[in-house]
Amino acid sequence: MSRGVFLIRPLVFLGGLMALFTLVACTTEVIKEVEREVPVDRIVEKEVPVEKIVEKEVIKEVVREVPVSSTTAAAASSTASGPQVYQLGIFEDLTTTNFWSYLGPDTTIWNSYVLGGGKPSLYGLSVQRFDWIPSAAADFPTALAEETIGGETLWATEVDLKEGIMWSDGNEVTAEDWVFTAHTVRDLQLTGNWSSIVDNDFFDHAEAVGPHKLKVYFKKKPGLSRWQFGLAYLPMISSAYWSPIVEQAKQQSDIVEQQKVLYGHVPENEPSAGGFLFGKWEKGAFVENGKNPGHFFSDVTTTHFANGSYAESKPGSYDFSAYGDPTGDKSLEYTTGPFVESAIYSIHGNQETAVLALKKGDIDFMLNPLGLQRGLQEQLVGERGLTNLENPSNGFRYLGFNFRKPPMDNKAFRHAVATLIDKEFLSRTVLQGVALPMYTTVPEGNGFWYNPDVPLIGKGLTRAERNAEVVRILKDAGFTWEQEPVVSANGTVEEEGKGLRLPNGDPMPELEILSPSPGYDPLRSTFAIWIERWLNDIGVPAKARLTDFNVIVEKIKDPEGFDIWILGWRLSTFPDYLEAFFHSSHAEGDGLNRGGYSNPEFDELADALLVETDLNAARDQVFKMQEFLADDLPYVVLFTTPILETYRSDRLEFPYTSTLSGLQGASGLPGTVSIK
Amino acid sequence: MLAYISRRLGQNLVTLFLIVTLAFFLVQAQPGDYTSVYAQDPKLPPEVRAQIQANFGLDKPLGEQYLVHLRNSFTGNFGVSFGHYPRTVMEVIVERLPRTAVLFLTATVISFYIGFVQGKTMAWRRGGFLEYTMTISGATLSTVFTPWYALMMIWLFAFQMGWFPLGKFLDPLLWREAPVSADFIFNRMLVTGGAFGGFVLLVMLAWQRAGARGLRSAVIPGLPAAAWWLPVVLIGAVVIPVAWALSGVGSLAWDIVKHMVLPIATLTSISFAGTMLLTRNSMLETLREDFVMAARAKGLPERVVRDKHAARNALLPVVTSLVYSLAFAIDGSVIIESIFSWPGLGLTLLQAVRGQDLPLVMAAFVFIGIFALMAHLVADVLYAYLDPRIRYS
Repeated sequence: MSRGVFLIRPLVFLGGLMALFTLVACTTEVIKEVEREVPVDRIVEKEVPVEKIVEKEVIKEVVREVPVSSTTAAAASSTASGPQVYQLGIFEDLTTTNFWSYLGPDTTIWNSYVLGGGKPSLYGLSVQRFDWIPSAAADFPTALAEETIGGETLWATEVDLKEGIMWSDGNEVTAEDWVFTAHTVRDLQLTGNWSSIVDNDFFDHAEAVGPHKLKVYFKKKPGLSRWQFGLAYLPMISSAYWSPIVEQAKQQSDIVEQQKVLYGHVPENEPSAGGFLFGKWEKGAFVENGKNPGHFFSDVTTTHFANGSYAESKPGSYDFSAYGDPTGDKSLEYTTGPFVESAIYSIHGNQETAVLALKKGDIDFMLNPLGLQRGLQEQLVGERGLTNLENPSNGFRYLGFNFRKPPMDNKAFRHAVATLIDKEFLSRTVLQGVALPMYTTVPEGNGFWYNPDVPLIGKGLTRAERNAEVVRILKDAGFTWEQEPVVSANGTVEEEGKGLRLPNGDPMPELEILSPSPGYDPLRSTFAIWIERWLNDIGVPAKARLTDFNVIVEKIKDPEGFDIWILGWRLSTFPDYLEAFFHSSHAEGDGLNRGGYSNPEFDELADALLVETDLNAARDQVFKMQEFLADDLPYVVLFTTPILETYRSDRLEFPYTSTLSGLQGASGLPGTVSIK
Repeated sequence: MLAYISRRLGQNLVTLFLIVTLAFFLVQAQPGDYTSVYAQDPKLPPEVRAQIQANFGLDKPLGEQYLVHLRNSFTGNFGVSFGHYPRTVMEVIVERLPRTAVLFLTATVISFYIGFVQGKTMAWRRGGFLEYTMTISGATLSTVFTPWYALMMIWLFAFQMGWFPLGKFLDPLLWREAPVSADFIFNRMLVTGGAFGGFVLLVMLAWQRAGARGLRSAVIPGLPAAAWWLPVVLIGAVVIPVAWALSGVGSLAWDIVKHMVLPIATLTSISFAGTMLLTRNSMLETLREDFVMAARAKGLPERVVRDKHAARNALLPVVTSLVYSLAFAIDGSVIIESIFSWPGLGLTLLQAVRGQDLPLVMAAFVFIGIFALMAHLVADVLYAYLDPRIRYS
């Protein structure tokens, strides 16, 4: 009897298992409409922006564009009941809790989500238009002025700090902390992101003129990228806590050992001046940051006005405004918290189970630099209590020309190619909204730096109009055909162009379009195939070569070894990348100007941008640079991809959800989110 | 035997050298290195990039790097992990090892037990409905696409039914205020498990010897032969839970146990079939032996013939298979660890390979190699121990 039961049990279990699978799999779910939001204002929040330009990784998902809706502003105060814990999902563990190491050898996006924002910086960016605004600084710095010290001519600027910003150990954040941090980075020759912030070619030293007055000296005149959008972002680290460790490090014989001592220290109860204090790290499982009750910026009300002005107010403490008269319509208003007791970052091994955790309510939001896979987000459509978001990422995929070879050296040809590419058709019809068409080298979402007057070549043209325009452009430039392409009224090419010749009479050479393969990036390969077809239609013998990403990177290092290529970039907010990508001095060696674009006027602007110290002047330069690039077309910017995210809207209230790079770009807004 | 073991150890050293060499050059064959992430940052001057490479020793010629890693591998000093700089590789491994060990050792032991019991029963009832059903079920489960199956298990039992937690190995809300770390609990769970396993073996051994000497019936007349499990159940079901409950961290251990159920069930269901079929085949061969017929001819009960005569002799290949599995259990499983968000050595190895954390990769490969080689050696020695007919010269 008992043996019989023993034998039957596994069968019953297996049968039951299969029945359950079948039963549950057959259950249909009711699909409801779900709110979706896409950006109007392209808001970004970065307390300590440490950005790098890196070759864009491919996001292999299918996405769909959705209608624009307006930005929402959440109530600042929390009316929450129940546990005030903001639960976020992340996908890799921290690798350090040491802030020096986090911005040095342990730079990961996951460390950044958890550790970023805990240290005050002098300046930061507004969440809406990327306005450069004071953070720990009381106001904008004084203009750079030459000073002679010890027979050496230096450039100096002064910054006043806000009074009353406190470390969590009870000490005040002072100019000494900034000096200590900057000198530690300089003296210990810290690398990684530190060396991007503190450029020792420019930074000389700093002095604390008083507790709230700082003087910074540069060896040579720094431009915005080195000062305002570089050193001014330096996160301040508590000198009271770290001085003994730094002194111990300096006792070591060589720089590597010194860095090891600094990076090797495991902080305990390290002071913070951010909204949260580092709480608990259960390795491999979760990290918890607890609310900092002494956070200086709590209750600060930030207002963005439609006229471009910006205002901050902390009752009884300070008021600040910039960029115009802070009156009129408000585009965004929010109050800084934190409004939650703590933020828990639980670690998930994959997106699938994280999505289940989100649906079940185990987490409220998940942080991922690539966002959510489209297929997974579609599973969440209609789920009660969840809201899907779609925001553009700060980057682009582009088509580049090798200026060293004909016909790519011909501006008319480049314009013809740009006109020929129907980005709307490819993005919306072929790729079903996977990609968002893009036209400019500065994303429209980067509001402060984007030039709205830059022409958007080919936008809105029908296929027939494009082909007609391309033929006109090429003919005007002296290109000839033995047989011009014949295009019907509906845009269909009835006869391909034949015998196309360059203005000098040479036959059009066969062109190779290098593009990542479908396995690596189906979006770019799709664009490449269609571009090949459209070029062939007008008589350009182009051939798309879909190949490995690394092969393309290697091939475009050889100045004469390629014609046209398709790759992508992830961008920083301050567009000094325009200089790195397009200045003629970067056209050789390891420079990033792979196409060899050279325009002395552009170079002049780019050089000026690097040393420009005035924000408005820099903006004018960037606007002009965009105009040059839109005319010279070293790149045809093709598209960007959206960041897809989902959050528990039945529990959370964000002050805004429209932001360049998504809410993950603002680390999930732990400092301003409130729990209902 | 000693000479044999010495010779095998020497061979293992050569094999380990080959493993280390292969692992090093496989990792090096990947394009770029750990510092490649900085290469595309236009703000980073070339000299800074060079310094970063120098800090990690990546500026040295390949041959020199190889020699350094070779020396490290054979001295056990794997240096500093690039991805967890400046923590040492051993710190990272020691942190991850208990989590993998608790999950995978438990799952391995359970799957072998179930596989063995099912296998011997199938062989005993050959040709019946049970054999066909279990063979088909076992083969299906062992060949199912593991990521899909694991996700389905989570979706069904954790999400739809809510019986188990959704992945991870603990509940953050419970552990927020925990006075100890998860590693503290894992280590004590390992100690408890090891002690309990040892206790079970001791009881079985003592019971067997007492029976052989007629002491059992002398102490308590009429005590059934299977009563040995009474102290085991007492300790396992009463003493250990009570001790954990009184320890003040019992709720934390219970939380981990709850999180272990689903991954263990998944691992067991996909891996027991191998042991089951191995046992079945071994049993079928054993059942043809004369001594089994002799046992039946003596009129022994069927269960005694099956369990004491046939199954014990069929155990040999199963035990050696178990030894291999235990060795590889230490390495964890990338798929299971990833899907169940269980950060053990498997996931660590995967992340180290993706991030080109060379010292950690090398250490992980060396550990895997050592465990595998040692398992082979132990299995060979066990063969001789379990079957006195086997002699090594």
